[in-house]
Order: sequence, then structure tokens, then C-alpha cells
Amino acid sequence: MSIAVLLKQVPDTTSKISFSGSAVDLSAVTKWSISPYDEYALESALKLKSEGLGDIIAITCGPSRSSKILTDAAAVGADSLVHILVEDLIHDSRNIQKLLSSALNRLNCQIILCGKQAADTNSGSTGPGIASLMEITCVSMVSEIKIDGDDLIAMRNGPNGQEEIQASKPCLFTFDKGTEELRRPNVRGIMMAKKKSIETLTPSDLSVELLNSSVKFDSQISPPEKPPGQKFQGADSVASVVQKLREEANVI
Amino acid sequence: MAYTGLDFYGIEDLLTEEELMIRDMVRDWVEKEIIPNIEEACRNGVFPDKWREDLGNMGVLGAPLKGYGCPGLSYTAYGLICQELERGDSGVRSFASVQGSLAMYPIWDFGSEEQKNHYLPKMAKGELIGCFGLTEPDYGSNPGDMITRAKEEGDYYVLNGAKMWITNGTIADLAVVWAKLEGEIRGFIVENGDPGFSAPEMKGKHSLKASITSELVLQDCKIPKDRILPGVKGLRGPFSCLNNARFGISWGAVGSAQACFHSAKEYAMSRIQFDNPIASYQLVQNKLAWMLREITKAQLLAYHVGKKKDDGNWIPEQISLAKMNNVDIALEIARMARDIHGANGILDEYPIMRHMANLESVKTYEGTHDIHNLIIGRYITGIQAFTRTL
Repeated sequence: MSIAVLLKQVPDTTSKISFSGSAVDLSAVTKWSISPYDEYALESALKLKSEGLGDIIAITCGPSRSSKILTDAAAVGADSLVHILVEDLIHDSRNIQKLLSSALNRLNCQIILCGKQAADTNSGSTGPGIASLMEITCVSMVSEIKIDGDDLIAMRNGPNGQEEIQASKPCLFTFDKGTEELRRPNVRGIMMAKKKSIETLTPSDLSVELLNSSVKFDSQISPPEKPPGQKFQGADSVASVVQKLREEANVI
Repeated sequence: MAYTGLDFYGIEDLLTEEELMIRDMVRDWVEKEIIPNIEEACRNGVFPDKWREDLGNMGVLGAPLKGYGCPGLSYTAYGLICQELERGDSGVRSFASVQGSLAMYPIWDFGSEEQKNHYLPKMAKGELIGCFGLTEPDYGSNPGDMITRAKEEGDYYVLNGAKMWITNGTIADLAVVWAKLEGEIRGFIVENGDPGFSAPEMKGKHSLKASITSELVLQDCKIPKDRILPGVKGLRGPFSCLNNARFGISWGAVGSAQACFHSAKEYAMSRIQFDNPIASYQLVQNKLAWMLREITKAQLLAYHVGKKKDDGNWIPEQISLAKMNNVDIALEIARMARDIHGANGILDEYPIMRHMANLESVKTYEGTHDIHNLIIGRYITGIQAFTRTL
């Protein structure tokens, strides 16, 4: 059996974002990485693999530069690598879901892991959308997965405690912040990863006809600059500070 | 903003994907393990055991050696590892240099098959730590006149003498000790626990504080005969180890210089004096431009020597030039960065003074700055100027 991990390449969260016209200038991104929540999914998959659940197939959907994250995943232990090659950005997530679910059906994966949302678009639709298309169970926002006989138990942290959710296969899990960071590769892993081949699939290889986009890209803008801090001096200001904390900052 | 090394001439584009992945792996480790913990390690004068384990687990020890459980990477990859480690701290790079180039390398190149199989796999994993005993209290730049002697006695060699300034000495499981046997320099593997061997730590350093520095004392130290390195006689043995270590230092110094440049640039951009960031003033820009210029030249030297090492087409003088130049400019950059940081530059909140103090050692060990000039002087003139009869 195989465990599929869906990975998305995003600008590293520490990378500087600059603009070209009304959109983020992707060519100016200095560092691309695996989306952080996907990293938790990958780490969890590696643990399931070490417990004998199966091999790992790492899958990404994106332009040619995104194959780098598959090699990164291989360096820490992913067994096979699949790249669904789409050169243009896809804004309509239904198309990404169609492509990924079609690949997953083809690969016959019973367990699918991914991040709860990507660090760039933050839409959070890929995991649940795929589960819906594949008509399989979806457990979202989990932090950990354990094996329980033929089933899997997912842990989910909530404001009032932790939930344990038992799910039978086939099943898709989306990851919130996990219990452990993605492991660091080592030299041996990196050298093996270099030799690992990447299976590249196009939408036509998958017999997927992309839908006309229901989403129109308008523009991207920087978040507004934070207003400068306010200074208060002397005992006379206490009342107005308390009022501001209560009414503006909403902290008391 | 995350650290991205200065790369003015696009040297990154010349690296293979594998080399970049290895660099990023070590960079990430340094960010997470070294930088947050280095000041404490320096204050306590320890090299944490976790760092040894991590270096072993990452598989970077003895990087360019092939076989016997060693990584078998390019010299460029080895250089990048040194660069990233030294961006954290010269003491960490020193640990890796000594383990890989000075202890593993002589066993790998000059050892018997049994010695290689016995020591190298465990050394590559960081399970055994090695050190290198060449320098003596009275013989530093002039190791050829060393006093340490080995004598054959039945099934054993008996070693007598003292070594000094030995990185990793006290924590080492084995020492590659160079001693004269019937007047000829030979390498011997001395293990921790051999009778007559001790490695007291040298305390009170103002430099490389997170690195262990020791004396090696050999007092009728008896070792089995199969611990001699069969493959080399004379100074060629220790010098070939030093060539590899010096090569690593030429990259390491770039890492130190990058750390100081990065800190100075960030500081200059945010420090306001006379209503403007000090980076807007010409004197500060002049300093930053000089740093960029020297780092770029140093990178090109290190990269090119790495390629020559990989091609097997190099002479020791080329490594001397890279080591000498790169450490020299790194130290000057550290001093200049301290200037830019003003009084803040002396605080351990910034890495500047630590790198500066470390680089004073790095300028001196593995062939002093002056000795490297003499090596190059001899290359130019054909006349050795190390010694003369007065």
C-alpha cells in the first residue's frame, strides 16, 4: 500500500515578497520551499512508513520549478515522486483538485496526507475538494495520525481539548501544525534523492480537461503598513489607556 | 529577514543541485542548533555532544573521502559545509576539519585496510572522535624538528613527547600522532586509554571558546605495532592532511565574513543617527562596499581551488593563497563590522566579537599567515626563507 503526500511549492515564509504591477513578482522570490503544513503531513507520512504502513508517493502539481520539492521530499525518505506539470498558475482550485484526484485514483492510494492550507493562497480547499471528488472520508486539521489495526486514528487540537477521530481507509487527512517538525535530510538521503526519477504527468496524460476558470485574478496588494505605536506618559493617561485597551485593542 | 549569503557574482549558479541541498541542510542546522546556543557553549567552554551526534547523523564528517562509510562528496561540497559551519562559529568548523581532514584523512590515505575498516565508518558517524597531534610547545611553524619520538620495543611502539594546541584532544577517542621513528616522521594511532597517554585541556582561551583545545602527553606510551600508519614517511604525511584542512578553512572564513557582513548590513540599515540610517552615510557605505568586494574575491578563490581539487589539478601554494587571503579578509571584515556596530558590536547579542576572536586563531593555526606568505615567496623565487644559519 502507498501513502500519498500532496506537497505544494510556495515562496519560503522568510522570503521577501515584492510586486510587479498589480501582482506578486514570482520571479523575484529568492527561496521556494514546501508549504509548512505540507511538511507536517510529510513528517507524519514518514512516521507511518517507519511503522510499516507502506511506501510514500510524493505528489506536487505546479510549474517545472516545483519538482525541486519532490527531490527534497525524496531526501528525507519519499519513495516515488510524481509531478503534475502545469506551467500556468491555476487560480480555480477545482482544477487542481481534478488533476490531483485523477492522479491519486490512478496510483490507487488509500491514505492521502496534505497540509490544511497552502502558505501562499491559504485557501484550504485542496484536501477537502479532493476527498469530495474521490468520494472518500476527509479528516481535516489534524496534528498526528496513529495506526489502529486496519484503521487510522487522527488527533485534532481544538480550543476545548483534543479530539481523537477514527477513520477507515480510504481516507484523506489535512494537517494543521503537527507534533514534530519535518526531519532534516542527511548526505546519504540527498545523494539517493538525486538519483530518484520523477514521473511527470500532464493534464492530458491524466485525461483531465480543465474547467473554464470560475475565478478571475484581479490584483494583489501588500498588507497596509501598521500604524505607528502610541506613547502615553504620566498617571493622567491611565484612564484613556484603559479605554483604548478595552475599545480599540480589545484585550481587556 | 532570513539569512541569504551574499552572492554578488552568482557562484550559486555554478553549484550542483546536490551541493546546494547539502549547503541548505547544514545552513538550516546552523540556524536551528548553533546560532541559538553558541554563546552559552562559549561561556561554558564546551562543545555540546548533541552537535557531534548531529554532524554524524547529517553525514558530513570526512565529506570528500570515498568508501569506508564516508560520504564521498566533491571538494566543493566539503567547502560549502565548512562555510556554513563557520558562519555559525569557527569552533564548530574546527571540530569538523579536525575530524575529517586531520584524523580521518590520514587513516584513509595512509592507513592499512584493517585500520580503515576499524576506524573510518565510526568516525564518519561521529561515534569516534579523532584529533591530530603535530604541533609541539617548541615546534609550531617548524614541525620538522619535532621532539616526540617513537621506539620499537618487541610487539609495541613506545612514544615519548608532548603535543600542544590539539583541537578535540580531551574529547577524542583516538589521536593521529606524528613522531620520529629512527629519525623519520611517522604517523601513529594512539587511542584514549592507551597506557602513558593523557590529554589535559588547555583553559583560558579568549578564542574558539566552544572548541576543546588540549595538550597530548605521551609518557612511555605503549601502542601495538599495527597502529603505525604504513603508507607515509616524512613531513608529506602531516602536510597532506593540512592541505585538506586549509582548503576547508578557505571556505570557512568566507562563512565567518558573511556572518559579520550580514550583521553589519542589517545594523547599518536600522541604526538611526542624525535622523538617517547610518547605511545612508558615505563612510559606512564605503566599508560595506569593501566587505562585499573582499567577500566576492574570497568566494572566487575558494570556489576555484575547490574545482581544482576535484580535478586533481592543484598545487599546495594555491591552497596557501586561499587560506591566507580569506582568513585575513574575514578578520578585517569582522573588525570593520565591529566599527559599524559601534558599541553594540562588543555585545554577544551580535556575533561580531566572537567571530573576530575566533579568526585570530584561524589566522594562526594550519600555517600562520606569515608562513603562507613564505610558502608563496618560495614559489615565486625558488628560495626558501623559512630558515637560515645565523
